Amino acid sequence: MKLKSRPAIALLSLSMAAIALAGCSEEAAGGDDNGSDGGDSAACAPEDVQLVGQVRNESNPYEASWLDGGDAFAESVDLEQQRLTYDADSTKQQEQISQLLAGDTNCLVMNILPNGDSDTLPIVEGAQEAGAYLVTQWNKPADVNVTDYDQWLSHITYNGVDSGKQIGDALAEAIGGSGGIIALQGILDTGAAKDRYAGLEESLAANPDVELLDQQTANFSRAEALEVTKTLLAKHGDDIKGIWTANDDMALGALEALKAAGKEGEVAVVGIDAVPDALTAIESGAMTATVSSDGPWQGGIGLAIGYCVATGELDAADITDDERAWFAEQFLITDENVADFTSPTVDDSEFACDNLFNRSQGAIS
Amino acid sequence: MTSPAEDVDVVAARPQPRRGVSFRDAGPPIALVVIFVVFAAISSDFRTFGNVQNIMDTAAVLAVVTCGITFVLMMGSIDLSAPGVMGAAAIAVSLLVLNNRNDNDLGLVGVLLAVLLAAGLGCVSGLALVILKVPSFMTTLGVSAIGLGVATLLFNGVQPNISDETLASWAVDRFLGFSYLTWIAVGCVFVGWLIQRYSRLGRYAFAIGGAEEVLALSGVKVAPYKVAVFTLAGAFYGLAGVMVTSQLSAGLVQAGKGYDFAAITAAVVGGTLLTGGRGGVLHSAVGVLLVTVLNNGLVQVGVSPYWQGGVQGLIVVAAVAAAVFPQRRRNQVTK
Repeated sequence: MKLKSRPAIALLSLSMAAIALAGCSEEAAGGDDNGSDGGDSAACAPEDVQLVGQVRNESNPYEASWLDGGDAFAESVDLEQQRLTYDADSTKQQEQISQLLAGDTNCLVMNILPNGDSDTLPIVEGAQEAGAYLVTQWNKPADVNVTDYDQWLSHITYNGVDSGKQIGDALAEAIGGSGGIIALQGILDTGAAKDRYAGLEESLAANPDVELLDQQTANFSRAEALEVTKTLLAKHGDDIKGIWTANDDMALGALEALKAAGKEGEVAVVGIDAVPDALTAIESGAMTATVSSDGPWQGGIGLAIGYCVATGELDAADITDDERAWFAEQFLITDENVADFTSPTVDDSEFACDNLFNRSQGAIS
Repeated sequence: MTSPAEDVDVVAARPQPRRGVSFRDAGPPIALVVIFVVFAAISSDFRTFGNVQNIMDTAAVLAVVTCGITFVLMMGSIDLSAPGVMGAAAIAVSLLVLNNRNDNDLGLVGVLLAVLLAAGLGCVSGLALVILKVPSFMTTLGVSAIGLGVATLLFNGVQPNISDETLASWAVDRFLGFSYLTWIAVGCVFVGWLIQRYSRLGRYAFAIGGAEEVLALSGVKVAPYKVAVFTLAGAFYGLAGVMVTSQLSAGLVQAGKGYDFAAITAAVVGGTLLTGGRGGVLHSAVGVLLVTVLNNGLVQVGVSPYWQGGVQGLIVVAAVAAAVFPQRRRNQVTK
């Protein structure tokens, strides 16, 4: 009995000590906070802010660059970002979030990529209850309003219709304004796939001489795109002048299919996301265009918004409703400007507390 | 010691040549011919030689995966490790041959090492099954996660692109109209058939699936053969991972995504039963062609992508139902 209880007591006293210490440092932090008293818990000392970036997996170059951007921001304010990945598993994402929220949440800042629309609400409600600062990106159900929650500072996404149209127009231009194209769609029941395809349809309406010969889904996958493109090449042959794809992975798969068919360079290919291999392909002329949402910026901006509010440099009440849910700027990349994007750098001035929303293209309608 | 083993060989070999059984074996090939003829009649694009080339090239990777999984299914076990094992092999090979990440240039030795790594992962599945007695469903799922973990670690955030001439040429260069990958797949099916037909490993795999207890009671040590079968399957997945890398000119962690269930579907459609003891490599090869022709044909005749998934599923269920139709009286219990 004695032997058993001794470690327990040791553990208990250690944890008490830890709690006491934590309490001290928090108080100290409160005391440190210069003139602006405010007296509320909102103002955290910069060194107490805890930064968390969460994406699906690091094996995706885009999402890895997102976390790198978060690291870059954290370094600029002398902090470290906690990098979390959940393997595109909704349950795992929720578990990680609840573990985070079970800890000290006063100065917790989370920049989250929800796995799907339906995963956003539980994260938001958890953060609201725990008092953590939350910024989400890409996925949000349309009927959930950011303004209904104090702790959900902002939701950032991109106008898929716009990016689909931009690359559609770039493709039309590359094939000289007329000819047959094929389209590879993403996962059909995702908002991104629907919006981007709607953008292509707009582009086709504006370029009446471009004919859509066929459209298939390749589920955003490089391997599936390879097979579907091979099949469509067998079906339409030389009629295909261009290939529109809803993301770069599929564009790269289509390029391999063209290579296997000996048509490399003869058919224009466009995608979205600006993954490193796509940029290389644009540099070498194999690919025509892609669209960048600027992953490193996304990784930094979410943390920056949370950091500015947590430290009191930005008052949450000063964020306008239009800045609570907004479309961020995206960039069309062609061979003319590809060099600017091959080694993405994060510009610290973009994350200054008075400059956080300068990439806004308007509120999400 | 030798005589019981010989008995078993006889038992294992018996179900093959019997009257009335022939229809069961003929079902899937007939279905393949029917589907092919129907698509050829509907679509003029489908019946071109270019498209037949395309079908064979597309079927290559799935055929190699299915070769491996067939041995496991014949034993009555299940194997879900293909995605992880293929991912690990794909990344490993892309880092071992000439690539943009490091200075390795091992060529075919790199391919061999990747296949060995995959065989090792398969061996882990087998060992966990026979030593820890964890059901194959769980062990292989776990090994798949281990493989993906290894692949993600090796991947390290930067896509390895291959520039090895030999490996890249497998997907592009052709011999007698078909890509080298297709010939590799044909070779795998042939080797698989030889193993199944003439080696003790193949015959015991059948016997284990048919009646493992009988085999054990006859004094055969079953465990080493089980481990060997999973190792062999792992090697096939590894080669498939290398083939995907050759096709995409890049090592992808997700190289094997979806191949586990695609291969099981192909094997079952071809007449290899999930309960074990029936079917074989050639059956599965027919199944692979059936599934591939179906995928290709639906695109060629212009079925809307929104409908394809559903239509595919319907035809697969119908094909399996047709394949097991002659045995429905004997299969009183369906689990």
